[in-house]
Amino acid sequence: MLSKLHGQKGWQLVIGFCLGIVFGFLLQKGGVTRYDVILGQLLLTDFTVVKVMLSAVVVSKIGVHFLKDLGVARLHPKPGSWGATAIGGLIFGVGFAVLGYCPGTLVGAIGQGSLDALFGGLVGLLIGAGLYSELYPRLEQTILHRGDFGEFTLPQMLKVNPWWVIFTLAVGLVVLLVLLETAGL
Amino acid sequence: MNLIRKVQWSPYLAGALMGMVSWFAVLTAGKYLGVSTTFVQTVGMIESLFTPERVASLPYFVKEKPIIDWQWMEVLGVLIGAFIASRLSGDFKGTFLPSMWEQRFGPSRVKRWGVAFLGGVVLMLGARMADG
Repeated sequence: MLSKLHGQKGWQLVIGFCLGIVFGFLLQKGGVTRYDVILGQLLLTDFTVVKVMLSAVVVSKIGVHFLKDLGVARLHPKPGSWGATAIGGLIFGVGFAVLGYCPGTLVGAIGQGSLDALFGGLVGLLIGAGLYSELYPRLEQTILHRGDFGEFTLPQMLKVNPWWVIFTLAVGLVVLLVLLETAGL
Repeated sequence: MNLIRKVQWSPYLAGALMGMVSWFAVLTAGKYLGVSTTFVQTVGMIESLFTPERVASLPYFVKEKPIIDWQWMEVLGVLIGAFIASRLSGDFKGTFLPSMWEQRFGPSRVKRWGVAFLGGVVLMLGARMADG
């Protein structure tokens, strides 16, 4: 029934917009649209980002797998490679620490009035995206496919029922959050 | 105190609700919440104003079509949602520099914006390489 909705372009734009408003609202209320909070996480003095992210991961993971088991959602595991995922991830991390926002939190930061996100960060992200579109053909033929490991999920790799992985991860992450609180972080 | 007007919520509450937003995204749109592809689409649309044939022929814009789609509207929504949240709490304020930056690197706006620009370029190159 809902798969019909997936094909309706106009409604999809409305849904995207509405969910985005809620998401942006929560990012701002969660405090993660603030440069000081993000840098505080990287300096390990403020664990807000970790708390928000891990809570979101646990709740999202359980619900999405439940919907998948009901047959109303699909997972979209992305293929990767050492060249693309590991090298790209390292480059992302350097840029992230220098900028002090990730793309989503940067958009939220603009919404709350942070002008460094608008005049510096937004322009940089757009130029970076344009630059990448120029470099893409060459990267595609070289580094992006170095050490391809394709598309896989943890349950496939471990050959277990996905709920074992979900359960273990959820418990592990909640324990980690409890430990963070206990340590006063 | 009224939750809606509070400047900052419990990170667990905000995070858990974000997780629930992702349920609705997969259910109603078959999508996962993403942002960075939208920057590719936006720059593609801007370039199309000047060199439409060139954009149409670039392989990366063939892969990531420069159009307004579900995710583009989601990102626009993030902008507005954060604006609403900060207005409701009185947290909305035009700030030129983050306070932590100013304490460490001084009051120059040009310096911060230049560094943010460079960080943004590097971040996006890495994000696109890793496809996330």
